[in-house]
Amino acid sequence: MSGVETTEIESVRVKNENVIHMPAGLLGFEDCKRFVLLTEPEEAPFSWFQAFGTSDIAFLVLPPFDAIPEYQPELSNDDVAYLGLKQPSDALIYNIVTLRPNQATINLKGPIVVNRFTLRGKQVILQNASKWSVRHPLPLAQPESL
Amino acid sequence: MLVLSRKSGESVVIDGRIKVKIVRVEGDVVKIGIEAPADVPIHRQEVYDEIQQNNRQALQSGRPTPPKLNRKPASKPVSDRQPVATADLAA
Repeated sequence: MSGVETTEIESVRVKNENVIHMPAGLLGFEDCKRFVLLTEPEEAPFSWFQAFGTSDIAFLVLPPFDAIPEYQPELSNDDVAYLGLKQPSDALIYNIVTLRPNQATINLKGPIVVNRFTLRGKQVILQNASKWSVRHPLPLAQPESL
Repeated sequence: MLVLSRKSGESVVIDGRIKVKIVRVEGDVVKIGIEAPADVPIHRQEVYDEIQQNNRQALQSGRPTPPKLNRKPASKPVSDRQPVATADLAA
């Protein structure tokens, strides 16, 4: 074997139309302006919201309404205009999940909202933010009793 | 930090494109009006800090397996669940 070094590159084939543009980044990660949503069927309903071009910055996200049916996020007029939303169904909503030992919590105060047609997104602070927690517990499946 | 004194009705201009105006002073509450381009996000600091800290805590190294959720049957199909927007979105 000649001394050829090969570097293992983890590449994710993503069509450009699946890239979500976040001009303001995420709060605290303002330099990350492009993200992809990665979904494995066995991990559903969770997805990974990963900064495009690096696997170092990735967030576990969840569309909130199945797990939290009472969730009613209100967007400010400015955010609706910023995202170009003409009606509520234009929006895709993903909330960031934090994993801790034996617990998972979801940020209901600052969802990621994406215009499903333009794929322009923003982590918004809700108009009714005081009503929701950044650390809302997710109901986890109970282990089956033996 | 630049510290200025302003009276009600007076303003400061930042970077030639962000304007901060003292709208009203009532006791120890100051009402501030901010004009800025749409691409400049503006938040109350305590909420911004809370969400920023939560984002940092949520950052995953590696891709751990997500937990299983307790799935309650949805009373409505998921496609009917939509965010409530305060803006009048009627075309």
